[in-house]
Amino acid sequence: MGDEVYSDLMRELKEGEYVFTGELEPEKAGDVNEPIEMARELVGMVVACNVTDNPQSFAYVNSMAASYLIQKETGMECVYQLRCSDRNRMALLSDVLGAGALGLKNILALAGDHVSLGDTPDAKPVFDLDSTTLIKLIRSMVDDGKDLGGNEIHNPPKLHVGGAAAPGAAHLKAEVGKVKRKINAGVEYLQTQVVYYTDVLDKFFDELGKVDVPILVGIFPARTFGQADFFDKYVAGVDVPPDYLEAMRATKAIKDKEKKKEEVDRVNIEFFTGFLEHLKGTPAAGCHMMAVGYPRIIPPLKKLME
Amino acid sequence: MIAQEQKPMEEILGYLEGKQKVVVMGCGGCATFYRTGDTKAVNELAENLTKEGKDVFKIPLPFSIQACEIEKCGVFLEKNRKELENRDAVLVMSCGSGVQVVADYMDEKMGIAKSVIPANDAIGLVGGGPIHLKETCQSCGMCELGKTAGICPLTACGKGLMNGPCGGVREGNKCEIDETKDCAWVKIYERMEKLDELDKFTSIRDPHEWSKTKRPRLFEMEKPVKIDVAAGIGAMKGMMAVTFGPKPKLDE
Repeated sequence: MGDEVYSDLMRELKEGEYVFTGELEPEKAGDVNEPIEMARELVGMVVACNVTDNPQSFAYVNSMAASYLIQKETGMECVYQLRCSDRNRMALLSDVLGAGALGLKNILALAGDHVSLGDTPDAKPVFDLDSTTLIKLIRSMVDDGKDLGGNEIHNPPKLHVGGAAAPGAAHLKAEVGKVKRKINAGVEYLQTQVVYYTDVLDKFFDELGKVDVPILVGIFPARTFGQADFFDKYVAGVDVPPDYLEAMRATKAIKDKEKKKEEVDRVNIEFFTGFLEHLKGTPAAGCHMMAVGYPRIIPPLKKLME
Repeated sequence: MIAQEQKPMEEILGYLEGKQKVVVMGCGGCATFYRTGDTKAVNELAENLTKEGKDVFKIPLPFSIQACEIEKCGVFLEKNRKELENRDAVLVMSCGSGVQVVADYMDEKMGIAKSVIPANDAIGLVGGGPIHLKETCQSCGMCELGKTAGICPLTACGKGLMNGPCGGVREGNKCEIDETKDCAWVKIYERMEKLDELDKFTSIRDPHEWSKTKRPRLFEMEKPVKIDVAAGIGAMKGMMAVTFGPKPKLDE
């Protein structure tokens, strides 16, 4: 790993600060006004925000364009999520160069959900590279100024690359083997998929053992019952606890909007108090708060970590 | 072999719109194994087309006479030249290779330009059986099995990842895309464990060399593909072994 630090996210991770990151989701729209508004609310709360790239294979505004616009309009540092599902190695390479040229400083390299799971199921899935070889490509571009074929890059991009880990994967040993492979490929930090159960997290850290790469643990405080239910039903490797799900379901019946908001916040704070308390005792370097469209929950949750 | 299934009748009839006099041609190769190109299948399709008001002429190809192999199927095309000349379309019950070989031969060698239409959808190079078959190879031109404990990740993994598993492994080690299918990378992990080769699991496999799959790939034999007496005797020996040899354990 190179010693250079290009982003605030990496600076905080290297300095050993407890890191909080957020998440923004561009939509199926001809603008990025909503994520820009959300980013404005998150400035100062988190060091950086992931900008999702066609999550669950639903085709939305290009993540690089959204990352650039959000960063430019709000000053919020973005983590440009980049999936292998939709691009071959040439397109990935040129997107990484483009990201560097636009001043993006962090990329989260992902394999991505299969296109058949989203709203364009007849698309040809690409997966020319996988997350590991995308990490290797980015590190080679940044550190050595070369692509995978050894072709030289003039004025290489200056950015960092993160990768994902799935603590709730059905086969933990295979998952951890893959995570170690990403570390071998030069990943600079890891961010986990959403975790709700502390024992799932503990087993993951135990199986992984000590590693030199900082790990952000993903949590998902849901803004609505629908969000929590979607994760439970459709996101592989994520189990939402039934008690939490039921408490969120109960909020649906509250008619008064303000009271509903208060109750949703209360349910989240109550559930995450124990989880975040536990998180403090793990090797996690920080917490990725995947609270899409729900910035008001971040300050009280951060407070729990103090 | 190439597994295949017959297209829906509705689609076939769509291709035959405005075409009254049709030929239904079978295939004695893979399509016969999968019962989508054998004589019985030819008869059934012909019957169904007749019910739809078509005037049908049948060219079944006997077992081992493949539509994709010109030396064999050309004999049956030549034999039926007159019918082929007088028909509006030829429906071939084979994979896409057979369909194209037939069309090409009729065009180039027989001077008969007709619509040659697929009756089947080829669904992959499969192995196993006799009931459960699985796509196992995509003939990519650069076999990766030596790196992955003998399980092809390009084919068996829904995403074709060279470095898996992805983060979407479902309960029971099933695939993110289809919970009835096993995660190939968990299978690779388990097989490497059995072979005491788990150190290979965490090594980084380079991206696949797709340059080996420049389509269409051409292939030249040093000697022509030929059916001769030696091959016939070999086939008979094989059949004897299957009949009298130890029986394999088969799925229910």
